[in-house]
Order: sequence, then C-alpha cells, then structure tokens
Amino acid sequence: MLDAGRHPNIKILAYSEVQGLEGKAGDFTVQYLKKARYIKEEVCTACGACAEKCPIKADNDFEMGLKKRKAIYIYFPQGIPAVYTIDPEHCPMILKGKCGLCAKLCQAGAIDYEQKDEKKTLHVGAVIVATGVTQFDPSVVTEYGYGRIKNVITGLEYERLISASGPTKGHLYRPSDEKLAKRVAYIQCVGSRSLKYKDYCSSVCCMYAIKDAMLAREHDEEAESYIFYSDFRVMGKRYQQYRLRGAEDYGIKYIRGRVAEIIEDAEGNPVLWYEDTRTRQVKSLTVDMVVLCSAAVPSKGVEQLAEVLGIELTPNRFVKTDPFHPTDTTVPGIFVCGFCQNPKDIAESVSQASGAASRAAGLLGITSSGKRTVA
Amino acid sequence: MGSKDVLVIGGGIAGIQAAFDLAEMGVAAYLLERKPSIGGVMAQLDKTFPTNDCAI
Amino acid sequence: MNEKRGLPSVGVFVCRCGVNIGGFLDTPALVEYAKTLPGVVFAKENLYTCSESGTAEIKKAIQENDIQRVVVAACTPLTHEPLFRAICQEAGVNPYLFEFVNIREHCSWAHMKEGEEATKKAKDLIRMGVARAIELEPLESIEAEVEPSALVIGGGISGLVAAASLAERGFRVALVEREGELGGMLRHLYKLYPSDVPAEEVLKPWRDKVIDNPLVDLYLESEVISVKGYIGNYDVVIKSPEKEIPLKAGVIILATGAQLWEPPEGLYGYNKKDVITQLELESLLMKGKLKADKVVMIQCVGAMSPERSYCSRICCVTAIKNAILIKELNTAASVHILYRQMQAYGDEYESYLRRAKELGVRFVNFSPEQSPVVENQQVKVYHQLLGRELTLPFDLLVLSTPLVTQRGSEALATLLKVPIDQDGFFLEAHIKLRPLDFSTDGIYLCGCAHYPADVGEAVSQALGAASRASIHLTRGYIKVEPIVSSLIDEKLCQGCGLCAGLCPYGAIEMVDTSEGKKARIISVACKGCGICAASCYCQAIRLSHYTREQLEAQIRALLSA
Ligand SMILES: Cc1cc2nc3c(=O)[nH]c(=O)nc-3n(C[C@H](O)[C@H](O)[C@H](O)COP(=O)(O)OP(=O)(O)OC[C@H]3O[C@@H](n4cnc5c(N)ncnc54)[C@H](O)[C@@H]3O)c2cc1C
Ligand SMILES: Cc1cc2nc3c(=O)[nH]c(=O)nc-3n(C[C@H](O)[C@H](O)[C@H](O)COP(=O)(O)OP(=O)(O)OC[C@H]3O[C@@H](n4cnc5c(N)ncnc54)[C@H](O)[C@@H]3O)c2cc1C
Repeated sequence: MLDAGRHPNIKILAYSEVQGLEGKAGDFTVQYLKKARYIKEEVCTACGACAEKCPIKADNDFEMGLKKRKAIYIYFPQGIPAVYTIDPEHCPMILKGKCGLCAKLCQAGAIDYEQKDEKKTLHVGAVIVATGVTQFDPSVVTEYGYGRIKNVITGLEYERLISASGPTKGHLYRPSDEKLAKRVAYIQCVGSRSLKYKDYCSSVCCMYAIKDAMLAREHDEEAESYIFYSDFRVMGKRYQQYRLRGAEDYGIKYIRGRVAEIIEDAEGNPVLWYEDTRTRQVKSLTVDMVVLCSAAVPSKGVEQLAEVLGIELTPNRFVKTDPFHPTDTTVPGIFVCGFCQNPKDIAESVSQASGAASRAAGLLGITSSGKRTVA
Repeated sequence: MGSKDVLVIGGGIAGIQAAFDLAEMGVAAYLLERKPSIGGVMAQLDKTFPTNDCAI
Repeated sequence: MNEKRGLPSVGVFVCRCGVNIGGFLDTPALVEYAKTLPGVVFAKENLYTCSESGTAEIKKAIQENDIQRVVVAACTPLTHEPLFRAICQEAGVNPYLFEFVNIREHCSWAHMKEGEEATKKAKDLIRMGVARAIELEPLESIEAEVEPSALVIGGGISGLVAAASLAERGFRVALVEREGELGGMLRHLYKLYPSDVPAEEVLKPWRDKVIDNPLVDLYLESEVISVKGYIGNYDVVIKSPEKEIPLKAGVIILATGAQLWEPPEGLYGYNKKDVITQLELESLLMKGKLKADKVVMIQCVGAMSPERSYCSRICCVTAIKNAILIKELNTAASVHILYRQMQAYGDEYESYLRRAKELGVRFVNFSPEQSPVVENQQVKVYHQLLGRELTLPFDLLVLSTPLVTQRGSEALATLLKVPIDQDGFFLEAHIKLRPLDFSTDGIYLCGCAHYPADVGEAVSQALGAASRASIHLTRGYIKVEPIVSSLIDEKLCQGCGLCAGLCPYGAIEMVDTSEGKKARIISVACKGCGICAASCYCQAIRLSHYTREQLEAQIRALLSA
C-alpha cells in the first residue's frame, strides 16, 4: 500500500467517484467527481490536532460502527493519502456555519470550509475495475437475530474487535456488557449457498473463521471456538493444513451442522439450536458471542458503476467475464480483477490484478520504451 | 488521440496491485477510490489467513 | 568545513510533528542538545520537517552551513526516508549520507506519559544517529542492463498464455516444452467446466497465437539443462532432440504444471478398465467410448490424507462436470459421487453443483474414518448424513485423485535455485502478497506448478506472471539500492559456501579461482539483508550502509552517556 502511495507513476484519486465514460478501448474519457474533503490535501500533515478537539462524534465506518470518530477524521491511521476529511453530514461549520474550531487549531492552515465537489475529466487508454467486496447484511436472516441479539456480530465486525488497532485494542469485549467473550461460535454460509438469499459460495469464510478462532486463542488461552459448517472449503494453497492446525494447535471445534435458530438467554448469551448433521441430533450450545460469516457480496454501487461503464454483471452482481478470460469484461478495454469478479482470497486477488495489468499493457502496447510518469 | 494511461477503479489490494504493476512498467496509473483512503477490506483485517501475518 | 576535530559537518533537524512529538517531548532541549554533539554544526526545530517549508529549511541549511551529513529526528523511515533522501540529493548531499532517527514511534508515542524520560531517550537516539551519520559513506545506486527476452518453461495453457502475452508486447520469448506437442493437461481433457466447451476450443487460440508470433521461439521435446546468471542476464542451455542450444534471457517464467496422481494398482480395485481415474474417464468421453449405466465416483483418493494433506482444488468440480456429461449422454445412467468436503466455491460452482443434482446425480458424504470399501463390483459406503450404509453396484468406478508435483520439479528447482514446498509445489516469495514471484528476482511462477488451479485461474496467473516479468523487460535495466554485501578481501574467504547456502535471494555464487573456491556476490541480486555478513566466520563480507564501523560508532555513542 505504501509503495503505491509514493510511486511516481501512481496518482491516487481518493474520495472520488466515476460518473461517466465515453470512447473506446485505447481512448476513453472518464468523468469523475472529486468530493470535497474541506481540507487542502497538500497542506494537511495528518497531525491530528483538529480531530482531538473536534466536539462532534459520528459513526466510524472503518470500525464497522463499533467506535465513534470525530466529524473531522482520518479514515484509518495508516490511510493513504494521509490527510483528514471533514464529514459534511456532521460538521456544524459545514451544516450551519457554527464552530470553526478545527481551523483555529490547525497549525498548518489546511482547513477550507468553502471547498466544493469538483467534476474532473481523465483521458485513459484502459480501465481496470477492482471494486471488491462487502458483507451481506444478515439482519434479514431473522432466525439468527442479528440486530436484535447484541452479541451476534458479523465477520467484519469481529475483524475490528480482534484487531490490536481496533476499538477494543484486540480484546473480545462483547457488545452487550463488555464482558470478555470466551466462547465464540462462528456460523458459515449465512445468506450464502442459499436459494433464498445468495446462491453462491463466498470462498473465504471457512478460512477466515479459522483465522478468527486462532486469533481469539492467541489473545486468550481460555478461548473456546466452534465453527458450524456444511462443507469446509479448503481448496486453496495451505488451507487444509491451516484447518488441521486450527484443530490441533488451537483446539477449534468444527461442527458439521446447520444452525436453525439463535435465541438470547437472560444474561444476554446467544443460545444456538442446531442439528448436528453427522449424528442427526438436535442440540443446543450456549456461547458468549456469535460471529455470522455472512455472504461476501460485491461492493455497494456496483450496478451503477456497471451502468456507467456499460459492462455486464452476473446474476449475483459479480463483473461478468468468460470463464477462460477471467480478466476481460464484456467491454473491450475494460478489465477486471479481485473480489468483484468472483469470490477469492488475497493471493488470488493479487495474481489476477497482475493479470489485468498485463491485459491493459498488452492493449496499450507497452513495450521497452514505455517510460512515462504521471504529469 | 489515444492515451496510454490507465484508470483503476477501487483501491483495495487488487486495485493497488494492478496500478503498481502498471506503474512499474512506466505506465501512468490513476487509482480511484471512493473512500477517503485506499486499502479496502484488507486494511480492516488485523491478520490474514493462511499465514496470520499482519495485513498492511 | 567543520571546525570541530576534522569531522564531517552534521546538520540535525528535529520535527515537532505538530503535537505528535512536540506535545510530549521537549524539542527545543533536543535541538540544544544536538548542538553539543561532535560534528554538529547546525541544529533546528521544524513544525513539520516533511512539509514544504520543513524541507526547504533543510535545503537552505545545507547550502548555508556546508552540511555534509543530514540527521532528521522525526517519524519512521518506512514512510519518510525516501522523501528526506531525495531532499538531500536535491541539495547536493549524497542520499546515503542521511540518517533517520525515530523519536515519534520510539519516544513520544511509546512513552506518552513519561515526557522527561522520553526526551532523554530521544537524546540518546539522536546522539547515536549523529555518531553513525559521521561514519556513513556516499553510495551510488547499482544498475544493470536487462536482456529484453524471456524464457518460459512449460507449454501448457499457463505457459502459452504467458508466452503469448509477452510476445504480443514485443518481447522475444523462448518457450520450452518437453513433450512433442503444446497444450499440457488440456490435450487430454474432453470438455471444460464450467461452460462445458471442448478443451481444444479453449486451447487452440492460445496455441495459434504462440505458433504464429515470430517473436516466440518454440522448443518442443526439449528441456532446460543449464541456467546461470541472474535477473536481466541469464545464460540458458536448452537440450533439443538434435542439439544443445545456448541462449540469453532476461527473465524466466516457470509454468511446468502438475501431474495427476496415479493410484497404485488395486487401490479401490484400480485396474484402468472399469476402475479408472478422472483423466482416464476424460479420455473415454473424448473417444466416445463410454459405456456405463452405473457410475460411482470417489473423491479425495490419495488426497487430504497423511501422505498428501492438501486439497487438490479441481477434483470436486471435475467430478461434477463428468457426472453431468454422463447424465447428458445417458439420462438413465445412475451416477453417485462419494465426497468428503464438496469444493464448489465461487460465483458459479454452486449452481453447477445444483445442475448436477437436478440431473439426478447423487451425492454421498463419507468421513475419512469410514472410507468406502470396494468388492464384487460394489461400493459399500457409510452415508454420514443419512446415517446408514449404502451398497452401490457399479459398472464404472472413477477415482478422483489429486494433482501432484510435476515429474522433474526437484531437478528444475535445483537448476533455478528456487524452493519447493512440503507438498511438492513451487514456493512463491509470499503466499498472499507475491504469489507469482519467487524471492529471487527475475523468476516467476504460474498455473498448476504453483498449486492446482482450474483453467480460468491458471490463465489469470499466467497473465499475471507475464505482467511481473514484463516490468524488468519494459524498463530495460534494473536499478537496485546500493545497500549490498561485498567481499572485503577475497583472501579472507575460505570458500566454505555457508553464505551462498543461506542467501535467500540466490545472490551468491561459489566460483573456482586459482586460490580455490570463493564466494562471489551478485550485487544486482543482493537485497542487503545482511545474513551473509552476519554468518561469515571469517568476517570476509561487509554490508554497505551497515558496516561494522557504522554500527560500532552507534553503539559506542549509546554507551558514552
Ligand atoms: C470478513 C472477511 C475476512 C477476510 N479475511 C481474509 C483473510 O484472512 N485472508 C485472505 O486472503 N482474504 C480474506 N478475505 C478476503 C479479502 O478481503 C479479499 O480477497 C480482498 O479484500 C479482495 O481485494 P479487492 O481489492 O478485490 O477488494 P476490496 O478489498 O474490497 O477493495 C475494493 C476497494 O474498492 C473501493 N470501491 C468499491 N466500489 C467503488 C466504486 N464504485 N468506486 C471507487 N471505489 C470503489 C472500496 O472502497 C475498496 O477500497 C476476507 C474477507 C472478509 C469479508
Ligand atoms: C482430470 C482433469 C480434469 C480437469 N478438468 C478441468 C475442467 O473441466 N475445467 C478447468 O478449468 N480445468 C480442468 N482441469 C485443470 C486443468 O487441467 C489445469 O487448469 C491446466 O492444465 C493448468 O495448466 P498448466 O499450464 O498450469 O499445467 P499443465 O497443463 O500441466 O501444463 C504443463 C506443461 O509443462 C510441461 N512441462 C513440465 N515440466 C517441464 C519441464 N521440466 N520442461 C519443459 N516442459 C515441461 C508439460 O509437459 C506440460 O505441457 C482438469 C484437470 C484434470 C487433471
């Protein structure tokens, strides 16, 4: 990430959205909107003095809403570009011209409340779509109680909880009473492999649940983990070994079974009712917290982007490609890589990204004399 | 007139890698991200399977 | 010039980083302290040393005070060292005469509540930094030319795609295939999931591209027998049926695929007649010779077991495909797939699996503790989910065996000095972030040589490997940081070879000289990790920018408090 941030040939256009595309392979004109940050990007040094004193709090979407941020904020501490942004929906200065504290505090003089969104144009020869993944909102799977039972959370929320830089500094304080969660259940295929919601497999959930459970044990020797699955997807390099290590070295219990329902007991503990499909018995398990490994779905807004670009999507909203030309969209000159094309892990995303770069370079005839830099 | 520059939409690990390879070849790459910073989901992960090393 | 004891003149810049440092440490005191240190002729505080005005102050100070060594006490070299090195260069100071001292992460952030102690620690670090700066030497970056051509080993779909992509971009490619024909495994397959198109239809366009492109030199029935050199400059010898051919290559792509594990005769009754592998089934289908009404397939034969603990990724969907094809040929046929964990991942394979179910293919889940038993043209299997044993008569039993390491992988690994993992597949530089690179620059990897992959995945990787390899070809030169190891004196080297064995980047060769075997360090391949210098018994190796003198000066300065 850092290497990209300071590469002389990469220009990062963050906080921006593509709004229009014309032309053809080799010769595209792209309109995009550069949203106002209300900060002079070249001047801000990301020292943080502004946010420290900003009196307004708002939900922190990087932290999956598990923590508040200020109305002036940096998306995450190591973010690139390393500049602050004012959230116009919460900043009283933007909303009603009252406050202005951050401008007074900023020793670098980077605050600009008058900044406006800018419409900009780019001229490019090729486009690569890499809009990635988000998690399916499991609240519609009502039997699992997400949104109703406090100690039922999603995989991405868990990732933030277990993160040393996250809202709880890596401790599994569960949402209802901030008690340390010792027994955690992970449920696979929530809303995926399901004819009712998403009929495909997200490819990464079995593995990240193992990871999550390993990390829980690394943080707390007494942590107990239960992963409910129907088929363990271990098809990647070193996956099966990872799964075996999870059981042997981290004591993870893998339970082949579908959870029918989760209810909450008087202490706020989730109680899982499930059928163990190996013994065909209905059983229950009480835990401190449940992680729903809900379907990983294409990022929000992919339909609008597809429409702007004129590319087709699959019924599940992944960018459509021919199976044997996995980096080519249905429009020549527009290539694709990463999760938005098909569920995949980091390694495959990286491989395919290089593949898409190869296709773009091929189209543009980038050969021995290709030395250019961003103006 | 054609262009030899490339626009990458989405600044997660895939977009970053695509832009990086092109940039290394001498191609000017624009990395467009709708969030305030690049990084994508991987930036939200503390550790990643299958080697549990640090994500960023 | 420096008045104090003939030392080079040092300038020290202390960053407040807004409140990040200035809010916790006594930065004015650090500046005053720095002025007392040997060699220091100038010291100043900046609000943000990295800002426009901060860097301008560095440049101005360099010019006005004839500064020869620059020390910045600020944040982390990870993010800011390139900037300050560039500033030095612009002001006429060699960038390697710059020293970074981290008083933010190491002092103000780590000891937020102990400002006084943290200031003391910052003084120690600055003193050490100044002492090291005095010992620094100017260095020039190392450049070498890159031969603008590639060697691709293996002519399966991966090798074809990689070769075609590079040739399309104008680079000369030598494609070496040890068989008499191009195409690899795909030559032996009937139709390809998930769209069930004939394998030949997928293969042909790529094969044609390679054959038709005059930039590709094809070597069939050939093998690589010698590889010498390093990135940008490989000397390769190819053995063809007629002769040995020497050639030069700038980069190498390894695309040697994998082979299907053949079960020992008798395993589950394996006899190549009515008990066959999936590959043999493909051949029957291709020849239109399949005659079977009762088909049973067993998954994970020889896989996910103590001998081969990994999952071979493609076998479940291959079985589904062939089951569908059989049902489409003969709707009356019964097909049972006996599986452990169904690997129908991604956007498409679940619906492919559902299609098979809709066509009447039966799926039977078994556990490895209760593996199926084959006797008298019947398979007995305990169906875990039904909780009872099934007896399935068959006239064709198909064993789904895993893809395993390609024949000759070990020899190739030795030749190229690249590693192989515990499962016999080639080991990439980093499993997530550099899946197509080897840790040795200049050699890349794709397809089933990396790990079992379907055709789409192999194509992705092959295009990707071509991208990685093309970076150096496009530039025509490589430039590396001059922080590298070198032999201080060849006489000191005893030729033990420890360094060459330990070097993770293949940057050390042992060469024969009149004085016996000696290490030779290829500086363009060296990454400056220092393993060789640290492990050399004779202290014959020196790592520039981290020399003994520099490190000792730093340690002495610490102890001199
Ligand atoms: C909970 C969870 C845990 C995981 N754990 C692991 C793990 O341990 N190991 C592993 O290998 N994989 C893991 N994965 C999978 C991994 O996250 C993905 O493989 C990887 O993030 C894919 O990278 P990407 O760049 O394609 O997508 P993303 O990381 O999603 O990046 C896409 C980027 O595009 C931006 N974007 C989206 N739409 C637009 C638009 N219209 N315009 C501009 N920008 C846009 C997004 O803001 C984002 O920055 C996990 C996934 C999840 C959900
Ligand atoms: C039974 C079966 C069915 C399958 N069905 C499908 C399917 O339906 N759909 C799908 O997408 N995928 C399928 N696959 C997977 C598919 O075969 C692979 O994705 C594909 O073959 C990978 O191509 P590759 O080039 O990486 O390797 P390979 O096809 O193995 O090619 C490697 C080539 O390298 C050559 N070689 C090896 N060593 C050397 C050396 N030392 N020197 C020179 N040359 C060398 C070999 O001779 C070979 O030609 C199937 C695989 C099997 C086994």
